[in-house]
Amino acid sequence: MDEKKAAILGEIPRLRRYARSLLRDRDSADDLVQDCLERALVRLDNWQTGESPRRWLFTIMHHLFIDQMRKVNRRGEAAMLPLEAGEAVAQPAEQMESVASREIIDALQAISPDRRAALVMVAIEGFSYAEAANILGVPAGTLMSRIARGREELRGLLDDTARRRAIRIVEK
Amino acid sequence: MIRRDFSERDIHMALDGELPADERTAYDAWLDANPEMKARSTRFTADRVALQAAFAGVLDETVPVRLRKVVLGETPVKAAAPSSRWWLSAAAAVLLVAGGLGGYLAGIDGLGQEDPAEDRLAEQAIAAHVIYAAEQRHAVEVPASDKDHLQTWLSNRVGLKLVAPDLTADGFQLVGGRLLPAGESKAAMLLYEDGKGQRISLFVTTESAENTKGTYMAAQDGPEAVYWLDKGYGCAVVGSLPRERLAEVAKNAYSQLVSGLAS
Repeated sequence: MDEKKAAILGEIPRLRRYARSLLRDRDSADDLVQDCLERALVRLDNWQTGESPRRWLFTIMHHLFIDQMRKVNRRGEAAMLPLEAGEAVAQPAEQMESVASREIIDALQAISPDRRAALVMVAIEGFSYAEAANILGVPAGTLMSRIARGREELRGLLDDTARRRAIRIVEK
Repeated sequence: MIRRDFSERDIHMALDGELPADERTAYDAWLDANPEMKARSTRFTADRVALQAAFAGVLDETVPVRLRKVVLGETPVKAAAPSSRWWLSAAAAVLLVAGGLGGYLAGIDGLGQEDPAEDRLAEQAIAAHVIYAAEQRHAVEVPASDKDHLQTWLSNRVGLKLVAPDLTADGFQLVGGRLLPAGESKAAMLLYEDGKGQRISLFVTTESAENTKGTYMAAQDGPEAVYWLDKGYGCAVVGSLPRERLAEVAKNAYSQLVSGLAS
Protein backbone atom coordinates (compact mmCIF):
# COMPACT_ATOMS: atom_id res chain seq x y z
CA MET A 1 0.00 0.00 0.00
CA ASP A 2 1.44 3.35 -0.90
CA GLU A 3 2.11 6.04 1.65
CA LYS A 4 -0.58 8.38 0.47
CA LYS A 5 -3.27 5.78 0.90
CA ALA A 6 -1.95 4.83 4.32
CA ALA A 7 -2.09 8.48 5.35
CA ILE A 8 -5.66 8.77 4.11
CA LEU A 9 -6.70 5.63 5.97
CA GLY A 10 -5.26 7.13 9.13
CA GLU A 11 -7.47 10.19 8.80
CA ILE A 12 -10.75 8.30 8.49
CA PRO A 13 -11.60 8.36 12.22
CA ARG A 14 -11.20 12.14 12.31
CA LEU A 15 -13.20 12.58 9.11
CA ARG A 16 -15.96 10.45 10.56
CA ARG A 17 -16.05 12.52 13.72
CA TYR A 18 -16.27 15.77 11.76
CA ALA A 19 -18.98 14.33 9.52
CA ARG A 20 -20.93 13.09 12.53
CA SER A 21 -20.90 16.51 14.11
CA LEU A 22 -22.13 18.04 10.85
CA LEU A 23 -24.85 15.50 10.19
CA ARG A 24 -25.57 13.54 13.37
CA ASP A 25 -27.03 10.51 11.61
CA ARG A 26 -24.33 7.88 11.47
CA ASP A 27 -25.06 6.47 8.02
CA SER A 28 -25.42 9.89 6.44
CA ALA A 29 -22.16 10.95 8.04
CA ASP A 30 -20.38 7.89 6.68
CA ASP A 31 -21.90 8.54 3.24
CA LEU A 32 -20.32 11.99 3.35
CA VAL A 33 -16.96 10.50 4.35
CA GLN A 34 -17.27 8.00 1.51
CA ASP A 35 -17.95 10.76 -1.02
CA CYS A 36 -14.97 12.61 0.37
CA LEU A 37 -12.67 9.60 0.07
CA GLU A 38 -13.84 8.87 -3.46
CA ARG A 39 -13.15 12.42 -4.52
CA ALA A 40 -9.79 12.41 -2.77
CA LEU A 41 -8.68 9.28 -4.61
CA VAL A 42 -9.68 10.73 -7.96
CA ARG A 43 -7.64 13.81 -7.18
CA LEU A 44 -4.73 12.12 -5.53
CA ASP A 45 -2.37 13.96 -7.86
CA ASN A 46 -3.60 17.32 -6.56
CA TRP A 47 -2.33 16.48 -3.14
CA GLN A 48 0.89 18.43 -2.76
CA THR A 49 3.79 16.64 -1.20
CA GLY A 50 4.24 17.93 2.30
CA GLU A 51 0.67 19.17 2.62
CA SER A 52 -1.04 17.77 5.68
CA PRO A 53 -3.39 14.96 4.62
CA ARG A 54 -5.76 16.10 7.34
CA ARG A 55 -6.12 19.61 6.00
CA TRP A 56 -6.44 18.38 2.43
CA LEU A 57 -9.15 15.85 3.28
CA PHE A 58 -11.07 18.17 5.58
CA THR A 59 -11.10 20.79 2.82
CA ILE A 60 -12.51 18.29 0.34
CA MET A 61 -15.16 17.12 2.75
CA HIS A 62 -16.15 20.59 3.78
CA HIS A 63 -16.60 21.61 0.13
CA LEU A 64 -18.79 18.59 -0.50
CA PHE A 65 -20.89 19.45 2.52
CA ILE A 66 -21.31 23.14 1.77
CA ASP A 67 -21.81 22.72 -1.99
CA GLN A 68 -24.64 20.30 -1.45
CA MET A 69 -26.22 22.45 1.23
CA ARG A 70 -26.20 25.39 -1.16
CA LYS A 71 -27.67 23.35 -3.99
CA VAL A 72 -30.39 22.08 -1.74
CA ASN A 73 -31.18 25.57 -0.54
CA ARG A 74 -31.05 27.24 -3.91
CA ARG A 75 -33.62 25.12 -5.66
CA GLY A 76 -37.16 25.69 -4.63
CA GLU A 77 -38.21 22.11 -5.18
CA ALA A 78 -35.23 20.65 -3.50
CA ALA A 79 -35.79 23.05 -0.68
CA MET A 80 -39.06 21.32 -0.03
CA LEU A 81 -37.44 17.91 0.04
CA PRO A 82 -37.01 17.91 3.78
CA LEU A 83 -40.74 18.11 4.12
CA GLU A 84 -41.15 15.01 2.03
CA ALA A 85 -38.30 13.24 3.70
CA GLY A 86 -40.02 13.07 7.03
CA GLU A 87 -38.59 9.68 7.71
CA ALA A 88 -35.09 10.97 7.18
CA VAL A 89 -35.80 13.75 9.64
CA ALA A 90 -36.97 11.53 12.42
CA GLN A 91 -33.62 10.04 13.24
CA PRO A 92 -33.35 7.63 16.10
CA ALA A 93 -30.98 8.89 18.73
CA GLU A 94 -27.64 7.15 18.66
CA GLN A 95 -27.34 4.52 21.30
CA MET A 96 -25.22 5.03 24.34
CA GLU A 97 -25.51 8.79 24.30
CA SER A 98 -25.85 10.35 27.69
CA VAL A 99 -28.66 12.84 28.15
CA ALA A 100 -26.17 15.69 28.30
CA SER A 101 -24.45 14.52 25.14
CA ARG A 102 -27.73 14.12 23.35
CA GLU A 103 -28.80 17.60 24.32
CA ILE A 104 -25.64 19.21 23.09
CA ILE A 105 -25.63 17.14 19.89
CA ASP A 106 -29.24 18.15 19.20
CA ALA A 107 -28.40 21.77 19.87
CA LEU A 108 -25.39 21.59 17.58
CA GLN A 109 -27.58 20.27 14.78
CA ALA A 110 -29.90 23.20 15.27
CA ILE A 111 -27.40 25.94 14.55
CA SER A 112 -26.66 27.05 10.99
CA PRO A 113 -24.29 24.80 9.01
CA ASP A 114 -21.71 27.55 8.56
CA ARG A 115 -21.53 28.26 12.27
CA ARG A 116 -21.62 24.59 13.13
CA ALA A 117 -18.69 23.82 10.85
CA ALA A 118 -16.64 26.74 12.19
CA LEU A 119 -17.30 25.86 15.81
CA VAL A 120 -16.61 22.16 15.34
CA MET A 121 -13.38 22.85 13.46
CA VAL A 122 -11.82 24.67 16.40
CA ALA A 123 -13.67 23.29 19.42
CA ILE A 124 -13.70 19.60 18.55
CA GLU A 125 -11.18 19.10 15.79
CA GLY A 126 -8.65 21.42 17.37
CA PHE A 127 -7.65 23.38 14.28
CA SER A 128 -6.21 26.84 14.80
CA TYR A 129 -8.22 29.82 13.57
CA ALA A 130 -5.82 30.18 10.64
CA GLU A 131 -6.12 26.51 9.67
CA ALA A 132 -9.90 26.48 10.08
CA ALA A 133 -10.32 29.68 8.05
CA ASN A 134 -8.17 28.15 5.34
CA ILE A 135 -10.13 24.90 5.25
CA LEU A 136 -13.48 26.64 5.30
CA GLY A 137 -12.30 29.20 2.75
CA VAL A 138 -13.39 32.26 4.72
CA PRO A 139 -11.52 35.28 6.14
CA ALA A 140 -10.40 34.95 9.76
CA GLY A 141 -12.87 37.65 10.86
CA THR A 142 -15.77 35.71 9.40
CA LEU A 143 -14.57 32.55 11.06
CA MET A 144 -14.37 34.27 14.43
CA SER A 145 -17.81 35.75 14.00
CA ARG A 146 -19.22 32.33 13.17
CA ILE A 147 -17.54 30.75 16.16
CA ALA A 148 -18.81 33.45 18.52
CA ARG A 149 -22.34 33.34 17.18
CA GLY A 150 -22.31 29.56 17.05
CA ARG A 151 -21.34 29.38 20.71
CA GLU A 152 -23.97 31.94 21.70
CA GLU A 153 -26.62 30.12 19.75
CA LEU A 154 -25.63 26.75 21.15
CA ARG A 155 -25.72 28.08 24.72
CA GLY A 156 -29.09 29.73 24.08
CA LEU A 157 -30.53 26.45 22.87
CA LEU A 158 -29.15 24.57 25.85
CA ASP A 159 -30.58 27.20 28.18
CA ASP A 160 -33.95 26.80 26.49
CA THR A 161 -33.79 23.04 26.92
CA ALA A 162 -32.92 23.44 30.59
CA ARG A 163 -35.72 25.95 31.06
CA ARG A 164 -38.27 23.65 29.46
CA ARG A 165 -37.09 20.83 31.67
CA ALA A 166 -37.49 23.07 34.72
CA ILE A 167 -40.98 24.03 33.62
CA ARG A 168 -41.95 20.40 33.23
CA ILE A 169 -40.71 19.63 36.70
CA VAL A 170 -42.69 22.53 38.12
CA GLU A 171 -45.82 21.38 36.30
CA LYS A 172 -45.57 17.96 37.84
CA MET B 1 -1.14 45.75 33.95
CA ILE B 2 -3.91 45.82 31.43
CA ARG B 3 -2.42 46.97 28.19
CA ARG B 4 -5.53 46.88 26.12
CA ASP B 5 -9.26 46.57 26.47
CA PHE B 6 -10.51 43.04 26.29
CA SER B 7 -13.89 42.10 24.94
CA GLU B 8 -16.08 39.10 24.50
CA ARG B 9 -14.08 38.22 21.41
CA ASP B 10 -11.15 37.47 23.68
CA ILE B 11 -13.19 34.89 25.57
CA HIS B 12 -13.45 32.86 22.39
CA MET B 13 -9.81 33.40 21.53
CA ALA B 14 -8.70 32.34 24.99
CA LEU B 15 -10.90 29.27 24.84
CA ASP B 16 -9.54 28.27 21.44
CA GLY B 17 -5.92 28.87 22.38
CA GLU B 18 -5.62 31.93 20.16
CA LEU B 19 -4.85 34.48 22.83
CA PRO B 20 -1.18 35.51 22.77
CA ALA B 21 0.60 34.06 25.79
CA ASP B 22 1.85 37.45 26.97
CA GLU B 23 -1.73 38.74 27.21
CA ARG B 24 -2.95 35.88 29.33
CA THR B 25 -2.26 37.48 32.70
CA ALA B 26 -3.98 40.71 31.79
CA TYR B 27 -6.88 38.73 30.33
CA ASP B 28 -7.31 36.70 33.51
CA ALA B 29 -7.30 39.91 35.56
CA TRP B 30 -9.96 41.35 33.24
CA LEU B 31 -12.10 38.24 33.69
CA ASP B 32 -11.79 38.47 37.47
CA ALA B 33 -12.88 42.09 37.34
CA ASN B 34 -15.91 41.29 35.15
CA PRO B 35 -18.10 38.64 36.78
CA GLU B 36 -20.51 38.62 33.88
CA MET B 37 -17.75 37.91 31.38
CA LYS B 38 -16.28 35.36 33.72
CA ALA B 39 -19.62 33.55 33.96
CA ARG B 40 -19.84 33.57 30.16
CA SER B 41 -16.37 32.17 29.87
CA THR B 42 -17.20 29.43 32.35
CA ARG B 43 -20.32 28.42 30.43
CA PHE B 44 -18.52 28.35 27.09
CA THR B 45 -15.70 26.32 28.59
CA ALA B 46 -18.18 23.77 29.93
CA ASP B 47 -19.92 23.60 26.54
CA ARG B 48 -16.61 23.03 24.82
CA VAL B 49 -15.81 20.14 27.13
CA ALA B 50 -19.29 18.70 26.62
CA LEU B 51 -18.97 18.96 22.84
CA GLN B 52 -15.66 17.17 22.85
CA ALA B 53 -17.02 14.48 25.13
CA ALA B 54 -20.11 14.00 22.98
CA PHE B 55 -18.05 13.11 19.91
CA ALA B 56 -14.99 11.54 21.51
CA GLY B 57 -16.39 8.03 21.10
CA VAL B 58 -16.42 8.30 17.30
CA LEU B 59 -12.63 8.04 17.17
CA ASP B 60 -12.76 4.65 18.87
CA GLU B 61 -15.37 3.17 16.56
CA THR B 62 -14.28 0.56 14.07
CA VAL B 63 -13.95 2.14 10.66
CA PRO B 64 -16.70 0.76 8.42
CA VAL B 65 -15.37 -1.69 5.88
CA ARG B 66 -16.93 0.22 2.99
CA LEU B 67 -14.77 3.25 3.79
CA ARG B 68 -11.57 1.23 3.96
CA LYS B 69 -12.46 -0.41 0.67
CA VAL B 70 -12.74 2.94 -1.07
CA VAL B 71 -9.19 3.84 -0.10
CA LEU B 72 -7.76 0.40 -0.75
CA GLY B 73 -9.27 0.46 -4.22
CA GLU B 74 -11.49 -2.54 -3.74
CA THR B 75 -14.54 -0.67 -4.95
CA PRO B 76 -14.43 1.11 -8.29
CA VAL B 77 -14.02 4.82 -7.74
CA LYS B 78 -16.69 6.88 -9.40
CA ALA B 79 -15.42 9.99 -11.08
CA ALA B 80 -18.98 11.21 -11.49
CA ALA B 81 -20.91 13.29 -9.03
CA PRO B 82 -21.40 11.76 -5.62
CA SER B 83 -24.29 9.39 -5.76
CA SER B 84 -25.02 8.91 -2.13
CA ARG B 85 -27.91 10.66 -0.54
CA TRP B 86 -26.31 12.00 2.62
CA TRP B 87 -27.13 15.53 1.56
CA LEU B 88 -30.82 14.84 1.75
CA SER B 89 -30.46 14.04 5.38
CA ALA B 90 -28.04 16.95 5.66
CA ALA B 91 -30.71 19.24 4.38
CA ALA B 92 -33.15 17.86 6.87
CA ALA B 93 -30.64 18.18 9.66
CA VAL B 94 -29.74 21.73 8.82
CA LEU B 95 -33.32 22.64 8.41
CA LEU B 96 -34.08 21.39 11.87
CA VAL B 97 -33.45 24.45 13.86
CA ALA B 98 -34.55 24.51 17.43
CA GLY B 99 -37.30 27.01 17.87
CA GLY B 100 -36.29 28.48 21.15
CA LEU B 101 -37.49 31.97 21.80
CA GLY B 102 -34.34 33.03 23.56
CA GLY B 103 -32.65 36.17 22.47
CA TYR B 104 -29.48 34.23 22.46
CA LEU B 105 -27.96 36.35 19.76
CA ALA B 106 -28.25 39.38 21.95
CA GLY B 107 -25.07 40.71 23.36
CA ILE B 108 -22.76 39.79 20.56
CA ASP B 109 -23.65 42.51 18.13
CA GLY B 110 -20.65 43.97 16.48
CA LEU B 111 -18.88 40.69 16.12
CA GLY B 112 -20.29 40.11 12.69
CA GLN B 113 -23.10 40.79 10.31
CA GLU B 114 -24.59 37.34 10.25
CA ASP B 115 -28.26 37.39 10.93
CA PRO B 116 -29.81 34.88 8.59
CA ALA B 117 -33.19 35.99 7.36
CA GLU B 118 -34.61 32.52 7.96
CA ASP B 119 -33.67 32.61 11.65
CA ARG B 120 -35.40 35.92 12.01
CA LEU B 121 -38.48 34.76 10.17
CA ALA B 122 -38.84 31.60 12.22
CA GLU B 123 -38.27 33.40 15.50
CA GLN B 124 -40.91 35.99 14.65
CA ALA B 125 -43.35 33.30 13.54
CA ILE B 126 -42.90 31.25 16.68
CA ALA B 127 -43.13 34.33 18.91
CA ALA B 128 -46.40 35.32 17.24
CA HIS B 129 -47.76 31.81 17.55
CA VAL B 130 -46.87 31.56 21.23
CA ILE B 131 -48.67 34.81 21.98
CA TYR B 132 -51.77 34.62 19.82
CA ALA B 133 -52.54 30.93 19.50
CA ALA B 134 -52.99 30.86 23.27
CA GLU B 135 -55.61 33.63 23.15
CA GLN B 136 -59.18 32.39 23.19
CA ARG B 137 -61.22 35.52 22.50
CA HIS B 138 -58.61 37.78 20.94
CA ALA B 139 -56.60 35.38 18.85
CA VAL B 140 -57.46 37.06 15.56
CA GLU B 141 -58.39 40.52 14.33
CA VAL B 142 -60.54 39.38 11.44
CA PRO B 143 -62.49 36.12 11.82
CA ALA B 144 -62.78 33.44 9.17
CA SER B 145 -66.43 34.38 8.66
CA ASP B 146 -65.07 37.47 6.92
CA LYS B 147 -62.55 35.53 4.85
CA ASP B 148 -62.72 37.60 1.67
CA HIS B 149 -62.09 40.79 3.55
CA LEU B 150 -59.34 39.11 5.56
CA GLN B 151 -57.50 38.05 2.40
CA THR B 152 -57.87 41.41 0.68
CA TRP B 153 -56.87 43.37 3.75
CA LEU B 154 -53.79 41.28 4.55
CA SER B 155 -52.73 41.15 0.90
CA ASN B 156 -52.86 44.94 0.68
CA ARG B 157 -51.02 45.49 3.93
CA VAL B 158 -48.31 42.89 3.46
CA GLY B 159 -47.93 43.50 -0.26
CA LEU B 160 -48.37 39.91 -1.41
CA LYS B 161 -51.29 38.22 -3.04
CA LEU B 162 -52.39 36.06 -0.15
CA VAL B 163 -54.83 33.21 -0.30
CA ALA B 164 -55.67 31.57 3.00
CA PRO B 165 -54.92 27.89 2.28
CA ASP B 166 -57.73 25.43 2.74
CA LEU B 167 -56.42 22.94 5.29
CA THR B 168 -59.63 21.02 5.92
CA ALA B 169 -58.03 17.93 4.37
CA ASP B 170 -55.56 18.08 7.26
CA GLY B 171 -58.38 18.60 9.75
CA PHE B 172 -57.81 22.32 10.26
CA GLN B 173 -60.34 25.12 9.89
CA LEU B 174 -59.41 28.76 9.46
CA VAL B 175 -60.05 30.77 12.63
CA GLY B 176 -59.01 34.11 11.17
CA GLY B 177 -55.97 36.30 10.84
CA ARG B 178 -54.11 39.35 11.97
CA LEU B 179 -51.51 41.83 10.84
CA LEU B 180 -48.17 41.86 12.63
CA PRO B 181 -44.91 43.78 12.48
CA ALA B 182 -41.98 41.84 11.02
CA GLY B 183 -38.79 43.79 11.32
CA GLU B 184 -39.17 46.73 9.01
CA SER B 185 -42.04 45.21 7.09
CA LYS B 186 -45.37 43.58 7.92
CA ALA B 187 -46.50 40.02 8.26
CA ALA B 188 -49.80 38.22 7.97
CA MET B 189 -50.68 35.59 10.51
CA LEU B 190 -53.40 33.08 9.72
CA LEU B 191 -54.66 30.92 12.57
CA TYR B 192 -56.16 27.45 12.12
CA GLU B 193 -57.75 25.07 14.58
CA ASP B 194 -58.65 21.40 14.48
CA GLY B 195 -61.60 19.61 16.10
CA LYS B 196 -59.71 19.18 19.33
CA GLY B 197 -58.84 22.85 19.65
CA GLN B 198 -55.24 22.30 18.57
CA ARG B 199 -53.95 25.36 16.77
CA ILE B 200 -51.41 26.04 14.07
CA SER B 201 -50.51 29.31 12.44
CA LEU B 202 -49.18 30.46 9.12
CA PHE B 203 -46.87 33.42 9.10
CA VAL B 204 -46.21 35.13 5.77
CA THR B 205 -44.04 38.14 5.15
CA THR B 206 -42.15 39.81 2.33
CA GLU B 207 -38.55 38.76 2.65
CA SER B 208 -35.96 40.52 0.58
CA ALA B 209 -33.46 37.71 0.91
CA GLU B 210 -31.74 37.51 -2.45
CA ASN B 211 -31.45 33.75 -2.38
CA THR B 212 -34.12 31.15 -2.23
CA LYS B 213 -34.06 29.13 0.93
CA GLY B 214 -36.14 26.31 2.21
CA THR B 215 -35.93 25.65 5.84
CA TYR B 216 -37.52 23.44 8.40
CA MET B 217 -37.32 24.42 11.98
CA ALA B 218 -38.13 22.53 15.11
CA ALA B 219 -37.81 22.69 18.84
CA GLN B 220 -37.62 19.62 20.99
CA ASP B 221 -40.72 20.42 23.00
CA GLY B 222 -42.11 23.84 22.14
CA PRO B 223 -43.94 24.73 18.96
CA GLU B 224 -42.15 23.81 15.79
CA ALA B 225 -41.89 25.87 12.64
CA VAL B 226 -41.60 24.58 9.13
CA TYR B 227 -40.40 27.54 7.16
CA TRP B 228 -39.06 28.60 3.81
CA LEU B 229 -37.97 31.68 1.96
CA ASP B 230 -38.78 32.00 -1.66
CA LYS B 231 -38.51 34.76 -4.19
CA GLY B 232 -39.89 37.80 -2.45
CA TYR B 233 -41.59 36.17 0.49
CA GLY B 234 -41.01 34.08 3.54
CA CYS B 235 -43.45 31.73 5.18
CA ALA B 236 -43.55 29.64 8.32
CA VAL B 237 -46.07 27.13 9.57
CA VAL B 238 -45.97 26.88 13.35
CA GLY B 239 -47.60 24.40 15.67
CA SER B 240 -47.07 21.73 18.30
CA LEU B 241 -47.94 18.82 16.04
CA PRO B 242 -45.83 15.74 15.53
CA ARG B 243 -43.10 16.73 13.11
CA GLU B 244 -44.29 14.54 10.23
CA ARG B 245 -47.81 15.90 10.52
CA LEU B 246 -46.63 19.50 10.65
CA ALA B 247 -44.50 18.83 7.60
CA GLU B 248 -47.52 17.47 5.76
CA VAL B 249 -49.67 20.44 6.65
CA ALA B 250 -46.86 22.79 5.64
CA LYS B 251 -46.49 21.08 2.31
CA ASN B 252 -50.18 21.44 1.66
CA ALA B 253 -50.17 25.10 2.75
CA TYR B 254 -47.06 25.77 0.69
CA SER B 255 -48.51 24.50 -2.58
CA GLN B 256 -51.70 26.51 -2.08
CA LEU B 257 -49.82 29.66 -1.14
CA VAL B 258 -47.50 29.35 -4.12
CA SER B 259 -50.32 28.91 -6.58
CA GLY B 260 -52.17 31.77 -4.87
CA LEU B 261 -49.16 34.07 -5.17
CA ALA B 262 -48.68 33.13 -8.79
CA SER B 263 -52.30 33.66 -9.76
